[in-house]
Amino acid sequence: MTDDDIRRMVNEVFIESFEIEPAKIKPEANIFMDLGLDSLDVVDLVVALQNKFNVKIRSDERVRDIRTLADLQNFIIALRNEGAFTQNG
Amino acid sequence: MENRRVVITGLGGICGAGNNVAEIVDFVEANKSAVKRMAGWENYTGMRSYVGAPAKLINEKNIPRQARRSMGRMSIFAVQAAEEALQNAGILKSDFHHGRGAVIIGSTMGGAESLNQVFETMLPHHDLNKLTSMQFFQCVSHTAALNVAQYFGANGYVMATSAACASGLQALGEGYNLIRSGDQDFALCGGAEELHPTVTGSFDILYATSAKYNDNPCATPRPFDRDRDGLVCGEGAGILLLESYERAMARNAKIYGEILGYHTCASGLHISQSSKESVARCMGEALRKSGVAKEKIDYVNAHATATLHGDIEEAQAIHDLLGAAVPVSSLKGYFGHTLGASGAIELILTLMMMQKSTIYPTRNLENVDEQCAGINHVTQKTGKMLNTILKNCFAFGGINASMVIAGV
Repeated sequence: MTDDDIRRMVNEVFIESFEIEPAKIKPEANIFMDLGLDSLDVVDLVVALQNKFNVKIRSDERVRDIRTLADLQNFIIALRNEGAFTQNG
Repeated sequence: MENRRVVITGLGGICGAGNNVAEIVDFVEANKSAVKRMAGWENYTGMRSYVGAPAKLINEKNIPRQARRSMGRMSIFAVQAAEEALQNAGILKSDFHHGRGAVIIGSTMGGAESLNQVFETMLPHHDLNKLTSMQFFQCVSHTAALNVAQYFGANGYVMATSAACASGLQALGEGYNLIRSGDQDFALCGGAEELHPTVTGSFDILYATSAKYNDNPCATPRPFDRDRDGLVCGEGAGILLLESYERAMARNAKIYGEILGYHTCASGLHISQSSKESVARCMGEALRKSGVAKEKIDYVNAHATATLHGDIEEAQAIHDLLGAAVPVSSLKGYFGHTLGASGAIELILTLMMMQKSTIYPTRNLENVDEQCAGINHVTQKTGKMLNTILKNCFAFGGINASMVIAGV
């Protein structure tokens, strides 16, 4: 899975699960301030990402530092680099 | 304690017959059936009944995502019906922000579809990792009340009357009591339910469902009929706005009817079967509290779900209490048994009958079962001035609810 694949799939989660308009999907978009997610949505975002990438995220401390879409895309890319995608989500 | 008069000023409804009250009325006037053969139900091993009366889920994206995320199918029906009731009554969401407006909505259970999804996701490995936060809010028993109250920002009484098929009428009864006592000035009251094979399955296990008409769905259910064979589950929501008579008059509201009496009681005898003595007692108490003489009841809207036992008990109770003259019909032949929503949806239709001076007949009643005879079954659309009506609901646990309403 390439970096671009990951970026595209992360964007798909926001469009499909959170009904975000594609025009708002930009790397610098703040997940909370610009895309309108709140703390309850973050729980469901984690579940959606786990399902999309078949990977465990829920107990990863790095989730708390994520603010922008780029932060999230880079986090998933890092998980791939760490070989996390071979685990069951 | 005050004893204020309580009137009904707004109506909203969704069921298999339509997505608003006008559509439902037109559907019933045209003598149509919303009962269908449900695809995939035969995949549930042991299921006998393959028929149901589904409603259409439409326009749900008109509810903003962050309000809608905690809503399963049933709650969306409830919110949409509540919006219709408010619009019909001509009152605003902001009226609910001062602690004086209640939201009381009952259902048999939380969202059936959501409950099934949760267990299918979690089992067999007992894995919680794939569950979303919002599924919990869709599953809780008070999901309809919770979501309607949140959507309107209601900060008065918020309650969920969970009593299976009596849920909706009990919600109306509680709203009536709160306004009568002066604790609240107005209340959105009613019931909601969603159709799912496991909901029908729970009745199917008890042999209470209709299973002989799977190839002829529109011929069932058949309340009071000699060839009835059980109930057909439907879904939807019925929401009514109740308010004090003074408040309604002060704002020149249209009044559909005044609640004169309400009673609920149980038989204490059997977990699933009704008893004619307790049914008659419930109706009798509602009448006594209303101050209306039996002879003044113009119409009884029956619960009659087409179960073999229940229809007999209700027919005999009506006969014993009210005699053979008062017209009686059941509406379940048009859109099935909407369970928690049934009391409210059927009361809405009864109020519309009062508006139109017309009684809608019991659909599919072709040959009255002799054990249900002795009462005045309405089998054709009948013109009649209806000033005072009685509405019945009977539920598992032998729980009864009856309400007397008159025109103002």
